[in-house]
Amino acid sequence: MKLHPALKRWESVLALLLVAEILLFGAINPVFLQPSMLLYATSDFIHIGITALALTLVIITGGIDLSLGSVMGLSAITLGILWVGGVDIWVAAVASLAVGTLAGVFNAVAIHLSKVNPLVITLGTGFLFGGAALVLSGLAGATGYEGISNFDPAFVNLANLEVLGLPLPLALFLVLTVAFMALLHRTRFGRYVYLIGQNPRAAAYAGTPVFRTLVVAYALTGLMAALSGLILASYFGSARSDFGATALMPAITAVVLGGTSIYGGSGTILGTALAALLVGYLQTGLQLVGVSSHVSSALSGGLLVIVVALRSLTEMGRVWVQHRRVLRNVAAE
Amino acid sequence: MIIRFLQRHREASVALIIVLLFAILGLVDRSYLSLDTVLLVYGNSLILFVLAIGATMVMATHGLDVSVGSIMGLAAVSAGLLMNAGWSIPAAIGVALLVGLLCGLINGALVSWLKVSAIVATLGTLGLYRGLVHLLSGGSWIEDLPEGFKALTKAGSLGLSVFAWLVLVLLIVAHFGLRYTAFGRSMFAVGDNRDGARLIGIRVDEVQIAAYGLNGVLAALAGVIFASQIGFIPNTAGTGMEMRAIASSVLGGVSLLGGTGTVLGAALGAYFMTSIDSILVLLRLQAYWNDIIAGAILLVVLITDGKIREAVDRLLRYQKYRKFIEPPAAGHQADATKAGLSLKTSEARK
Repeated sequence: MKLHPALKRWESVLALLLVAEILLFGAINPVFLQPSMLLYATSDFIHIGITALALTLVIITGGIDLSLGSVMGLSAITLGILWVGGVDIWVAAVASLAVGTLAGVFNAVAIHLSKVNPLVITLGTGFLFGGAALVLSGLAGATGYEGISNFDPAFVNLANLEVLGLPLPLALFLVLTVAFMALLHRTRFGRYVYLIGQNPRAAAYAGTPVFRTLVVAYALTGLMAALSGLILASYFGSARSDFGATALMPAITAVVLGGTSIYGGSGTILGTALAALLVGYLQTGLQLVGVSSHVSSALSGGLLVIVVALRSLTEMGRVWVQHRRVLRNVAAE
Repeated sequence: MIIRFLQRHREASVALIIVLLFAILGLVDRSYLSLDTVLLVYGNSLILFVLAIGATMVMATHGLDVSVGSIMGLAAVSAGLLMNAGWSIPAAIGVALLVGLLCGLINGALVSWLKVSAIVATLGTLGLYRGLVHLLSGGSWIEDLPEGFKALTKAGSLGLSVFAWLVLVLLIVAHFGLRYTAFGRSMFAVGDNRDGARLIGIRVDEVQIAAYGLNGVLAALAGVIFASQIGFIPNTAGTGMEMRAIASSVLGGVSLLGGTGTVLGAALGAYFMTSIDSILVLLRLQAYWNDIIAGAILLVVLITDGKIREAVDRLLRYQKYRKFIEPPAAGHQADATKAGLSLKTSEARK
């Protein structure tokens, strides 16, 4: 069986799955196929995709960031606090992006200083940032469910703006996807990211600026998480400290489903972007055909397990076939 | 001496911090240094204790289970539904534990047989099991649990409830079981060096699956205790507990890279995480300060611990290779071995 090399790529499988999924839901409920439905449904999950793009870099370096959900909440609350304190909404937005970036830098520095597993460090910083968000919202007297609202209407309308017929969050996601593709696949920084993930020691011996690369990767993740927090604040018209609590696991799911190895060293931005859409549309589609949102999250969990298990099985099968071929050749000689 | 001791007993540093914490609190308020306080914190940390035992086992095999929160919820909901359907309390709890075992075995099979990385596999089952919780409960809370079930966490003999005694026994059994039985040691062997463990005749896959299975049972027990403590079962029962369980174990010196850690350490970590709550009450701080304090302490402990460990390792390695570095190499040694040694020492110095 001869396949075109482009078709053998994981991204093509994901793209096919995505099309099949949309057609399948469309067949069950034609409403799903309306362009406005397909476009505006993304607003519910696109923040996960935006964060997952940057998380891909971190995971390719062999690290992980468990604190991104907390950073989302922290940035949203920062925005809220500053707004309540009388700061201009745009200044406040820039400030919360800065807070997110700083949180990322803090992660990288803590990992570098302690030489402890990133999983553990970001677990700790996750508590820290989430706790900071809780304290800030507590000090501002915001209740858990209401959060801080009454933002500037211009800011709240942002999530409903259209750019070239696309909702702004989706347009932002597409632009960021291209930007991250260029960054990871076309720059020296991107090659460093792969090298560090493949073999950190070799990277260090080759003179790769390991620490600087890690700082940028984690800072970008913090920045994207903060951006997602702002998008959510604009979309819901309020800021809450627990915004990101449910975003962490889907973000990791998108990255892993997109073909990035959790051990680092391989992965693509396009895969992550497609997987984020795949998982997102699965949730929306299931809800549209009448499956409750909780059951649909179970199904996306099941999807992750099945896809990853299948990939692992095909890999095991490939190695087995290869071994057999080698053994047969040796026996023939 | 101190360095050697810390190298051997990672849990010692947590114990020290806890004692320090209680000493400070004792200075602030004398009534705090009472047995009642200790028992109160112990009672509040039952769930985390049970989860920390499981996390220690899984992490010892170089695994990780982030689905325990969902297993907790699933077990609690199964027990609650069966009890409200008229089953006897022990039978319902038994089924709940079996559900947990099954969930754990599925995790183990994914990780061990299908070679899916632990965090990805359990991330998937985290969503899967949570969805089952919603399917089973039909989206509503389970209320009106039998009084006999709630009484299991009411203080009984010596001020401890039935579950409190059970957890105490479990802690002791697990601590010594992991340290001194062949099965316990084999978990650490698998986590430390999987191929090496296989070569000395350990059934690597089976040990790994067993660790996840036991972890599932313990998570189910935690779910049952949770239901008994609060008297009803919300759909969100157990959400977020996985992170607290992992944090407790890490705080208590269990390594995420497998092969080291003790149940005693993990239990101290869990006790510490819970005692932060009581400190907040004493310092008249609002409850929302909890996470930031827990996170800050966790980070400080982790970074200090990492630094100490790095220094200790460097010192030990230096002592090990010192004789090769300082005196001029003996003449009768072959050049090749000298080259090999200088390579090693340069690595040791690094």
